[in-house]
Amino acid sequence: MAQLPDPVEGHIAKAFDAALSDLRLQIVSMGGLVIDQVSAAVRALLDGDATVAELVLSREHTVNELERFVDREAFQLIALHQPMASDLRMAKAVSRITIELERAGDEAKKIAKFAARLATGEPQGPVLAVSPYLRHMAELTNGMLRDAVRSLDESDAEMARAVRARDSELDHEFAAALRQIMSLAMQDARFLGATIDTVFALKGLERIGDHAKNIAEQVEFVASGEDVRHKAKHAEAGTPEK
Amino acid sequence: MDPLPLPQKDQLVTAMETTAKPGTAKSGGGAPIQETALRNEEPARSSQSSVGPATPRVAIAVDDTRQARAITSVKAQVENLNFYYGQNRALKNLSIPIADKQVTALIGPSGCGKSTFLRCFNRMHDLQPDTRYEGSITLHPDNLNLVGSGIDPIEVRMRIGMVFQKPNPFPKTIFENVAYGLRLRGVRSRATLAEEVEKALRGAALWDEVKDRLQDSALALSGGQMQRLCIARALATKPEILLFDEPTSALDPIATAKIEELISTLRDQVTVLIVTHNMQQAARVSDYTAFMYLGELIEFDEAAKIFTNPSKKATEDYITGRYG
Repeated sequence: MAQLPDPVEGHIAKAFDAALSDLRLQIVSMGGLVIDQVSAAVRALLDGDATVAELVLSREHTVNELERFVDREAFQLIALHQPMASDLRMAKAVSRITIELERAGDEAKKIAKFAARLATGEPQGPVLAVSPYLRHMAELTNGMLRDAVRSLDESDAEMARAVRARDSELDHEFAAALRQIMSLAMQDARFLGATIDTVFALKGLERIGDHAKNIAEQVEFVASGEDVRHKAKHAEAGTPEK
Repeated sequence: MDPLPLPQKDQLVTAMETTAKPGTAKSGGGAPIQETALRNEEPARSSQSSVGPATPRVAIAVDDTRQARAITSVKAQVENLNFYYGQNRALKNLSIPIADKQVTALIGPSGCGKSTFLRCFNRMHDLQPDTRYEGSITLHPDNLNLVGSGIDPIEVRMRIGMVFQKPNPFPKTIFENVAYGLRLRGVRSRATLAEEVEKALRGAALWDEVKDRLQDSALALSGGQMQRLCIARALATKPEILLFDEPTSALDPIATAKIEELISTLRDQVTVLIVTHNMQQAARVSDYTAFMYLGELIEFDEAAKIFTNPSKKATEDYITGRYG
């Protein structure tokens, strides 16, 4: 078989290289902001800090704008450079990842809104009752988000797989927190509103973990071309994939 | 494309406490995540929160106000240009600004007049009998009407270079091909010729491949190399506008990619006007794109606009492959 020449470093079209590199940089920047939004929102909740909650709410607009901006850049990259193979997978993944990050940012916003209400008089009992869970879940979700974005930046499929594996730990933690808060609600039903809000905050963190997992799935798709979405679910249920 | 300003990483307060070592190997050339571990610059809180810091140092501003890029400097202004082959009106009232040091692509189905339009710029039609121009192509900054009746076509061709569909090197050495135009202009000094030939070959991204065989026949080069030699030959005389008439249609994909990259880099030194029947190529290389049909200009805009959201339905139909 004829020997192919060594590939050149980067693409022959340098403008394409630059556009891809920019896209990667933009999505990493957006990831950094969203991670900070999540950690700030939970901190506002645990500390009862209205200022930090307001800060999160004020930056929500920026997350949304970044979503539009990155998505448009990916769209233009596809239109003007016609990426193929791994480049095409990267452009498609970036479009998907911006959605995941924006939704994670939305969850942070909801937690921040709850934190703002707590700071202005809503009963704190339910939050205090599950604060260790909130703290631990926030650590887990932030770690997952951080590694998911890093795995994209470093094209590290192994790191992405590890992110997916951590989602079950988060789910278990969420289930344990729910049990805790349900027992509190059964003992004392006075704080039903705050209890429901706390459940939503816990659920928000669990969802952020799902978004991180979805990002990791896209990274694996970029690296290998394999669509790993829902595979674990099928394997667990013993149902064949279609 | 002018990129929008990116949010700077050092403006982000991120929770990405990466442990990546500086210089982590990258695939695809992406910018590495720097050590962006959050520095909690606020006084320590009394709380035991361990979920990370909160307050940003700098808010991120997203400039989402990308406007259609106006042409700031016009190299040539086409005004009401009509062109006739005998009684046949091949171009109908074309008016287009040709942006200086930018790539403008002309697209459209066969017979739409794009090559006819291109050839007006260096008066190639004058070689045919019974042809006639109306209107003007004003070359700036000296306001020379390229299609004016009193203008010497030879002078025009000295200022407007052209590269054709099929590579057409002279049956001479590589060196002589590039030096030819310079000799015509009276350059006799060997040192100057050697210097200018090297410069042109470097400009055409061919120098490294031929520097050791400048005295070999140009006809021994590959198709892609021949085409780049023709570009070097055109560049040697320092044209103000370089015309490309389907320059890659006879080349393989790799040679095509090299020519396209070359065209992209040429915009730093010369205004480029390119005719292509390959819409993807127009999208890849051009800053501005004109869509022509039956001798008329249907739409002219930034390439990014034309290929993502054209204003005219006819353009949309053509670039999406619905007719043509």
